Amino acid sequence: MDLLFLLVDDMFWAAIPAVGFAMVFNVPKHMLVYCAVAGAIGHGFRTLTMHFGLPIEWASLVATTLIGFIGLYWSRKHLIPRPVFTVAAAIPMIPGSYAFATMLGLVEMNSGGFTYQLLQTVIENGLKTLFILIALSFGLAIPSVLIYRGRPIV
Amino acid sequence: MVGLSSTVPLTKQQQTEITRIAIKAGQLLQQHGAESRLIEQTTTRLGVALGAQSIELAVSADALVLTSLFEGRCITTTRKVHDRGINMQMVCDVQRICVMAEKQLLRAADVNKKLDKLKPMKYNRWLVVLMIGLSCASFSHLFGGDWWAFAVTFVASATAMFVRQELAHRHHNPFINFAVTAFIATLISSFGVIYQLGNRPDLAMAACVLLLVPGFPLINAVSDMVKGHINMGIARWTAATLLTFSVAAGIFAAMGVTNVMGWLS
Repeated sequence: MDLLFLLVDDMFWAAIPAVGFAMVFNVPKHMLVYCAVAGAIGHGFRTLTMHFGLPIEWASLVATTLIGFIGLYWSRKHLIPRPVFTVAAAIPMIPGSYAFATMLGLVEMNSGGFTYQLLQTVIENGLKTLFILIALSFGLAIPSVLIYRGRPIV
Repeated sequence: MVGLSSTVPLTKQQQTEITRIAIKAGQLLQQHGAESRLIEQTTTRLGVALGAQSIELAVSADALVLTSLFEGRCITTTRKVHDRGINMQMVCDVQRICVMAEKQLLRAADVNKKLDKLKPMKYNRWLVVLMIGLSCASFSHLFGGDWWAFAVTFVASATAMFVRQELAHRHHNPFINFAVTAFIATLISSFGVIYQLGNRPDLAMAACVLLLVPGFPLINAVSDMVKGHINMGIARWTAATLLTFSVAAGIFAAMGVTNVMGWLS
């Protein structure tokens, strides 16, 4: 029951940034609801798989693969390129804080001097950013890499 | 893929027109943030649908080069590509025109007219300010912050989005824009830490700058590289890294002013 509440809460609060960023990307109005649904499902699924012990990188890969296939269905139904829904849906999972922590560590290392603790911050956050990002975009690309090899989807 | 129309002879003038139309579609797609594979597929399909035998496209970070072939005759043209901001509605519309041309519902002149008529749709800016404020506030909630963190993040990132729009409207360099915006967002949210609002005021400082993560270029970068456009992938990745770096510079400057390190500890 607790898990269910956690998931619903998680999905609700992930749908808002999916729509917010979809509006920054000027996704057509009638497609915003798809961004919200895909964003909620993706983030919720990632939280669920992480709850069962999957590391964040693999959880991101699984979640965006799911978004990728959902996007595939919608894109063929509405004749609209997939990134229109899938990228906005993946935005709540982007490792923004890790990325900024990496860069801030670098800036701090220059101004405040080198310490092993800072180096650790930079490398750990940098690797997290890199691996999560690769997992996210690779997951979105899986339908076109595995199934539609070289063929257009719409 | 090759339509029936490829058997119809093309005059040199007609082929030139088709070449220009195909590259116009590609240019629109790249200016509004489509990934390279989509640009390549759409221009090729459009050109072939209008009667060329094949279309070859070279995509690079700031220009497109396109050659159309018909019975051994090549026509090549180049277009500069200026970034006009991500706009998925434009990408959808260009794609739709391409599909219609493929179904032979449009002739070359119609396609050209339709492409010229496309206007980028923009959401009401105050609605975007509100939604981005809520989005970053949602992130602070997902990180585990309470309602104080939510409120501080909302104010900081909504103000930041307003500043970002103002600077973008005045055509300021995106690196400067992102640094200034990150500075203001961090400055506002650090008051939460100074006055110790709520349980985790540092989370608001982390969440309020998330409107500046270049998510679209980063995802496009990896997806370009996965699909074989290594050059474009590297270019996009570099641009996104520089943007991230200017955001970090903005955050760092604000932290220096207020002397609140917040989430970097």
